[in-house]
Amino acid sequence: MAHNIVIPTRDKLFNLGEFFTLTKGNILTAFILVGGLIITFIRFTQGIGSVANLSDVQPWGMWIGFDLLCGVSLAAGGYFTTVACYVMGMKHFHSAVRPAVTTAFLGYAFVVVALLYDLGHWWRLPYMFFFPGTTSVLFEVGLCVATYVTVLFVEFSVAPCEWLAEKFPFLIKWRALVNRFTIILTIFGVTLSTLHQSSLGSLFLIAPGKLHPLWYSPFIPMFFFVSSMAAGGSMVIFEGMLAHKGVHHYMDATHLKEADEVTFSFSKAVSFILFAYFMIKFTDMLVQANIPYLCSGYGAIWLLEMFGFILLPAFLYAKGSRERNLKLCRFAAVNTVLGIVFNRFNVSMIAYNYALPSAERYFPSIWEIWISCFVVTMIVTAYRFIVYHMPVLYEHPHFKDAH
Amino acid sequence: MNRRRFLTILGSAGLASALSTAKTAHAAGGTHTWPYHENSYGVLHDTTRCIGCRRCEAGCNKVNNLPKPDKSFDDLSVLDKNRRMTPTSWTVVNKYELNGKPVFRKLQCFHCNDPACASACFAKCFQKQPDGSVAYDGSQCVGCRYCMVACPFYVPSFEYDDAWDPLVVKCTFCEPRLKEGKLPGCVEACPMDALTFGRRSDLIKVARARIKNNPGKYVDYIYGEWDAGGTAWMVLAPSAPVAASKDSHQATGHEFASLGLDTHLGNRPMGELTGGALGAVPMIVAFWPVLFGGAYAIAKRREAMHKAETETIVKEAKEDMAAAMDAAVRKIAETQGPGMADTARQAMADALKARENTCANCGHHGEDK
Amino acid sequence: MRNGTTLLLLAAIAVAGAAYLTLWDAGPVPAAPALTSVSDAPSAMVIFPVGEKPNPEGVGMKPVVFNHLVHENRVDDCESCHHTGETVACTTCHTVEGRSEGKFVTLDQAMHAPNIAKRVKGNTPQSCVSCHTEQLQRRECAGCHGIVKPTRSEAYCNACHNVAGLTKADMVAGIAGKLPAKRNAQLAADTLKARENPVQLQPTDGPYKVMIDGITDEYKANMFAHRRHVSSLMERLKDNSLASAFHSQPATLCSTCHHNSPLKSAPPKCGSCHSQRINPANPERPQLKAAYHLQCMGCHKGMNVARPLNTSCVTCHKDNEAKPVDGAAAKLGGK
Repeated sequence: MAHNIVIPTRDKLFNLGEFFTLTKGNILTAFILVGGLIITFIRFTQGIGSVANLSDVQPWGMWIGFDLLCGVSLAAGGYFTTVACYVMGMKHFHSAVRPAVTTAFLGYAFVVVALLYDLGHWWRLPYMFFFPGTTSVLFEVGLCVATYVTVLFVEFSVAPCEWLAEKFPFLIKWRALVNRFTIILTIFGVTLSTLHQSSLGSLFLIAPGKLHPLWYSPFIPMFFFVSSMAAGGSMVIFEGMLAHKGVHHYMDATHLKEADEVTFSFSKAVSFILFAYFMIKFTDMLVQANIPYLCSGYGAIWLLEMFGFILLPAFLYAKGSRERNLKLCRFAAVNTVLGIVFNRFNVSMIAYNYALPSAERYFPSIWEIWISCFVVTMIVTAYRFIVYHMPVLYEHPHFKDAH
Repeated sequence: MNRRRFLTILGSAGLASALSTAKTAHAAGGTHTWPYHENSYGVLHDTTRCIGCRRCEAGCNKVNNLPKPDKSFDDLSVLDKNRRMTPTSWTVVNKYELNGKPVFRKLQCFHCNDPACASACFAKCFQKQPDGSVAYDGSQCVGCRYCMVACPFYVPSFEYDDAWDPLVVKCTFCEPRLKEGKLPGCVEACPMDALTFGRRSDLIKVARARIKNNPGKYVDYIYGEWDAGGTAWMVLAPSAPVAASKDSHQATGHEFASLGLDTHLGNRPMGELTGGALGAVPMIVAFWPVLFGGAYAIAKRREAMHKAETETIVKEAKEDMAAAMDAAVRKIAETQGPGMADTARQAMADALKARENTCANCGHHGEDK
Repeated sequence: MRNGTTLLLLAAIAVAGAAYLTLWDAGPVPAAPALTSVSDAPSAMVIFPVGEKPNPEGVGMKPVVFNHLVHENRVDDCESCHHTGETVACTTCHTVEGRSEGKFVTLDQAMHAPNIAKRVKGNTPQSCVSCHTEQLQRRECAGCHGIVKPTRSEAYCNACHNVAGLTKADMVAGIAGKLPAKRNAQLAADTLKARENPVQLQPTDGPYKVMIDGITDEYKANMFAHRRHVSSLMERLKDNSLASAFHSQPATLCSTCHHNSPLKSAPPKCGSCHSQRINPANPERPQLKAAYHLQCMGCHKGMNVARPLNTSCVTCHKDNEAKPVDGAAAKLGGK
């Protein structure tokens, strides 16, 4: 099968043909990107208020709730996979590492991009390093994300190195250096991930009056971290599923052979994590004496999240991995990913400002949603570009030593 | 604001900041565990006196040179709707209903003793000043609006419609005027002394005296004395006894809730809620590498042991095989002669080799399952 | 609003005229129809601070004359005050020190407790103060009495604690509970007689109008219709025996507005205590402007005076044309 894969050579570095075929996907991509660019122009020349429904009582909306919170947690596949493969020594996940690191890097990079839309003075983002507000959770998030993006870039950089090595041979040295420090980078990465994944939850610790008690908890950082692990594992499965649909012909034999095993192993792991997540959230609800709230509308939403998007996928994962049912595992992965998005939406938007009258509540504008779609589309497009050019889903014939 | 000893992992900036933290905390002293300025100013807002005339809004607008509003300040019909602060009106008066009677409350920045906004800002734009005001410096504001999330009173507003210099806007306590020895614009404009300016410590005494000297008039509580760690602006509310009913759920403080004030903020600064999470950071930074390094070492060692074990077994098997072969060949040599034995030895060696080759192929990838 | 102002002015003139005419007629209070007693209690009595400790010098709070006849005609039944159901003297159970029969409720508490919790069983007792405080909720009283608070001053206590012709011997005997009933009735009757027709300041003793011009920037000086206000208050007082009995000093009525200074017909100006800027030494003392507004609006609010609205500045204050056009608080900032 390997012979089907287009491997860029010294003479033909680029393989952009895929982008210019008239497929439904490409047309949709172009549509979203063009629209997104127009909104981007408006946003950066007319101000946030011209496109967003944000208000003084709801300073954070779709761009933080989806692009940042969901973006970061769904990009957790990077640390999850690298830890499984390198730290825990599960070498048979090796072919899953590069796609996971790639998507994680893209996820984080575009989180930063999306953040620029939400920041009033986006060009001052680095100010946090000059005037560090060390008492702020956001400072910790910023510091960790900035560092982690760098780590991910370094981890990911071996792929472009292999792609461009023929043209620029010095990159081989860099690649060798990175490979030597793989384990250090992995451990550094998981430390940073633990910190900022949990800190995204800690952001809301300061607003106990605004977040509904069913979601507000002193343990919210832990919930965010634990759920990010589940999100990471599920995203690897989910992205694998999409990749099999879209870029199947860029996968080599090893990848194809290991893919199913990766799915089942991750399913089993995520199943455990989701059970644990369910238990800590449920216990926390009991400990905080929140049972009376369960009878309210927010209680229904909370129960839906708990049972429909945490416990259900946990069962599906368990069943799927035991019966080696690929479809079920993938369904569970989609279920989990939606659950994580649902949770982050609840925390940042739906259950936030719960006490305010409905007239003052927030609902994202179509343009905010478009920008979020725009960012996702950019990620997908960048991912496609990388897959078409770099050895992510296959092993480069010149660098078979990667094991 | 810099109360927490939070050592950042990277950079001396964090360290320097933490050192300065220790210094301020030491200088403050007193009964507070966070920096507290003993002589800071405050304002006591007595809602029993407020008549909802909006003169404070006009005064604020005037002294801060804010743009003229669409409806003049004499138009009291705006009170029919609940309003909030905007970038162009830093204070507003709202009408609330208490036992069927209108009560007015002025909304503005409470100028917390240990402000949540300052704790939340990651670019250090907010500073609690010794005069009591919480000052905002927009020159290093990134526009993340976390201060607005953090503020328990929904005070800061944001210039969403400005593309090039959108800033957070809130009441300044008229700090420039305080420096000139003048009263804040709203306080000066109040015709009823519903706003009393003074040292915060004096105002608490004043408020207590009012509560004591007017039995039944006030709720026996000074909102802001301790709420959210204490605020420079404090509120007195008229008491409105709940019609005699057995359930005392509403009994205390319901008046403040009716005035749109959160009575569940607790008496510690909001920023302390994040202290635990931030305090865990150094622990994770210190412990995670050890934990995962250990896991890595265990995995490595397990792999090595597994390999050694396999090798021993294979070696033993090989030796057993060789011994069996020797025995078989010796037997053949005894019964059928040395020529036959040589052929048999050769055949057996070939078969073994062939088997080893297939095994090596099959076990190439799955060695560590 | 131009017509409205004229109309208001006319109405004010009419009211002032009516008030003036009424005052013209105001003679001595017509004698109330004679009250008849339904009980066999004396019509008035002196309540002594009865105590069980030996008190040969007769030291104690001045006794109170209680007009039993008036009170028994004002309450529903005897049990309103005689809460145990037995018509005995208060001091039987409530003495200065308190007795087990009175559940150790002292005489002081029994007479003065302001808010008495509702009893689950039996009658809820009433004290003099608790019952009279209820009376103060009346519209015509609530204006001043929302502002004036009880104080422990001699002038304040004297309204009740004051018996004419009391001798030391009477006091000693009274405290011991051994004063003959006849002497007691004599003292009570004398005191009531002395209290009849208290001398009041007349509206004409004060100025007709008062120019309030302590602060004139945004608005012109205000011409306060002083006499109209005094007349209006006295008018309400006139037919009320309770009010007449308690506003017993000539200047009592004046002391709501002219507070914290000795009662006399020419009180000091408001501005002598209330400064225009807040006084850091007395942050509680209202600034001059607020002092006026708190008094005027406080009284109007208590008496449910619908107009002028608190927020309608120009009803009381004429616009000052001299102020800058864009106006509000223009001069306040500058000085």
